[in-house]
Amino acid sequence: MISATTLGPIEIRVPPEPSLSRVLRLAASGVASLAGFTVDEIENIKIAVSEVLIALVEHGSGEPIDMLFSANDSSFDIRGRTAVETFDINHPDLSLCRTVLAEVCVDHRIDEVNKEVHIWAAVRHEAIA
Amino acid sequence: MFCDRVRLPEQEGGLVTQFNDKGQNVVETGSNDSLRVEFEHDGTIVVYGDIDIAGGPVLEEALGAHEGDGPVTIDLHNVSFIDSSGLRSLLNASRRAAERSSHVALRGVGHEVTRLLEITGTTERFTIEPAS
Repeated sequence: MISATTLGPIEIRVPPEPSLSRVLRLAASGVASLAGFTVDEIENIKIAVSEVLIALVEHGSGEPIDMLFSANDSSFDIRGRTAVETFDINHPDLSLCRTVLAEVCVDHRIDEVNKEVHIWAAVRHEAIA
Repeated sequence: MFCDRVRLPEQEGGLVTQFNDKGQNVVETGSNDSLRVEFEHDGTIVVYGDIDIAGGPVLEEALGAHEGDGPVTIDLHNVSFIDSSGLRSLLNASRRAAERSSHVALRGVGHEVTRLLEITGTTERFTIEPAS
């Protein structure tokens, strides 16, 4: 039986290019698989990674995007950040994104810090005994 | 799968008549590395791949180019992933259809699409049809 493993943090810096969404989902699902996450949990992780990237690409200023993945016994954490010129947490395009994150994650948070938007999303992991 | 398909350089961005897996004559209306969209002669728009932030605009453009006055049928049987940016493309098509007093039918909706529609409470914006 596979036991839960702590992995990461694994940090990836990418240009704000939509076509890299699939690459980031693949990387995250690989890390989660190694850490013993279930198929359903990995589906949630792929959705969460995609939603984080959507928010960063669509609201960022065009600078590179930093993504960080880490897995532990209770969750898979996704952290993303990029530079912004202006950022409106209540932008209509973000509401759909946040609705999805709220459903697939045990918790998430979006903050603007010093002209950067920071997003943290954690997908629950039911550790295997 | 669409990844195995050979595409000639001169076909990029244009309309390409070809045959699908069922031997039916179809027209490719747009594609990129994430997504391919085909337009069948019965009017059905068939989507292959991931409707994500990369694929959503391809779908949006194809839908915009092929929507007529009547209902739109989108076959999602071959969609393996969808996120909120992809859903936005479908919702925009639904809104445009409603404006002309019509509707968008989603055919062959799999687990991923069903779940996203339920999460966002947007299922009722579409007519859900079984796979053909």
